[in-house]
Amino acid sequence: MADDIRALSAQLAQDPQSLVFLRLGEALRRKGQLEGALRVAMNGLERHPHLADAHDLYARILTDKHDYERAFDEWDMAVRIAPHHTGALKGLAFLYFKVGDLAQAEAHLEQARKVEPDDPSIDQAIAMMRKGVTPPTPEQRAAPSPPAAAAAPAAAVSSSGFDEARVFAGLEGANEGLLLIDGAGRVLGGALRDGSGADVTDRVAAYLAGVSQEAARTAKLLGLGAWNGLSAEGQHGNVHLAHPTPDALLLVVRERGMPLGRLAILAQRATTMARRWLEKQ
Amino acid sequence: MSPQTRAVENWTLQPLTDFVREASARLVLVLTPSGQVLAQSGFSRAVDVMSAAALAAAIVASTSELARQLRQAPFAALSHQGPKTGFFLSTFMTERGTLAVLAVYDLDVSSLGLVQLFYEQLAAELKSATPRGAVPKQVLAADFERELTDSLNTLFGR
Amino acid sequence: MSKALDLITRVRGVRGAMLVSAEDGLIVAEQLMEGIKGGAVAALAASLAGRLRRAMEAAGTGTSVFWHLQAEQGALLVVPGGDAADGILVVAVAEPDVNIGLVRLELLRAAETVV
Repeated sequence: MADDIRALSAQLAQDPQSLVFLRLGEALRRKGQLEGALRVAMNGLERHPHLADAHDLYARILTDKHDYERAFDEWDMAVRIAPHHTGALKGLAFLYFKVGDLAQAEAHLEQARKVEPDDPSIDQAIAMMRKGVTPPTPEQRAAPSPPAAAAAPAAAVSSSGFDEARVFAGLEGANEGLLLIDGAGRVLGGALRDGSGADVTDRVAAYLAGVSQEAARTAKLLGLGAWNGLSAEGQHGNVHLAHPTPDALLLVVRERGMPLGRLAILAQRATTMARRWLEKQ
Repeated sequence: MSPQTRAVENWTLQPLTDFVREASARLVLVLTPSGQVLAQSGFSRAVDVMSAAALAAAIVASTSELARQLRQAPFAALSHQGPKTGFFLSTFMTERGTLAVLAVYDLDVSSLGLVQLFYEQLAAELKSATPRGAVPKQVLAADFERELTDSLNTLFGR
Repeated sequence: MSKALDLITRVRGVRGAMLVSAEDGLIVAEQLMEGIKGGAVAALAASLAGRLRRAMEAAGTGTSVFWHLQAEQGALLVVPGGDAADGILVVAVAEPDVNIGLVRLELLRAAETVV
């Protein structure tokens, strides 16, 4: 394998425009050299932004790095470029399964099966999913073993295929920058950590109910109608507060560098996930 | 109804309960300028109600007199604010005559702006809830102590 | 002060701008279109700012430099004054489809000029 990587690197150095970066990136990923794989994939994407395979490679690396939100974006992009890209379809199915949206997961797998009816891994994934077992991440056909990203969450999946701790599974920062609480300030899912890494989940949850009540009252008394979001830029981070249902609150916290507009999009996605999860409860 | 909000006259109860909730006031008295308490919220001891009502009545009387000497209409409201707590005192006219509201608020949960905002609502609701044809009650010295005792018993649910 | 507010209200979709005392929730200066209750805006914006500040400090994001309440029929946008205008909130009430980026810039500019 090391020889392969050396050879592929040499080829890429000789012809930076070639598509050999796809094989090199995948080889590095399989070897667990994720930072190297990421650099290769990003360089390749810069040169070939409309290549679905490049987005697919990048998404697989991001999945290995547990950055599911960006992986979703990349697979989504790959499917937009090439609607029959089975790797991306399987990838999206995997992420939908992870957030408990079995219908979407199965729909994407079915779509992949239509494109490649002879691919046994798709039937296998559908069967596993129906049994409540996490299907492996979409590997290339010759993949020798499922990566850590697929194996680890499988242990956390409850018998129903979904549990409270996984309400935001698949979203970037699900365990440190997303929080779902009920109207009484009780935590339903997610977690928050401050800059020093300390868990501030309960403390923030206690304050949020008051913020939400005040936001609702302010909007009502000023004749602005129902409030649907509160975004704030802080000195060290940005936050967005939304309410997926009338009785629940969702807080997304990100570093200062993330623009409020992007934060709002991320919050919207988390809101959709939270709403689905709440509806299932 | 908040368990700490009680009224001698029932028509004052709902407006006061709403005010306490919206303005996040810690202590509130609705009283007449002579110091008769119609409703209270947040007080736990009768003696505190008695002294707060007496002091509020005295402030209303002295500021009214100041306004009279300055030949102007009575002051609309009075407020004082310390580092942690503030109080707000204001009077308004009803069919029963003048009523006063004394509100004490903590700055970490409320503000003068909030108290003023919801005081306007309280005054309007109390005005419209005042029983029609009611006349201001004269307080006779002979009845005063009995009335005070009865009022305090009601205000503390005894 | 009025010039700073004037620049904010010139942004299309802004229905009013105010300077508010953060501690008292009282109006310091205002430039409002008819129908906007200045006292209510001041009191409620200050109260929400206080609650939001506590939540943000608990979350480790520090105090806010800009916040924006989005509602179905309008928006409230607030910049807490900096060192020069500590204790002052610069507030705008706007239509729901206002250019938030532009209002934010004008609010930040106003917060710098208000002393």
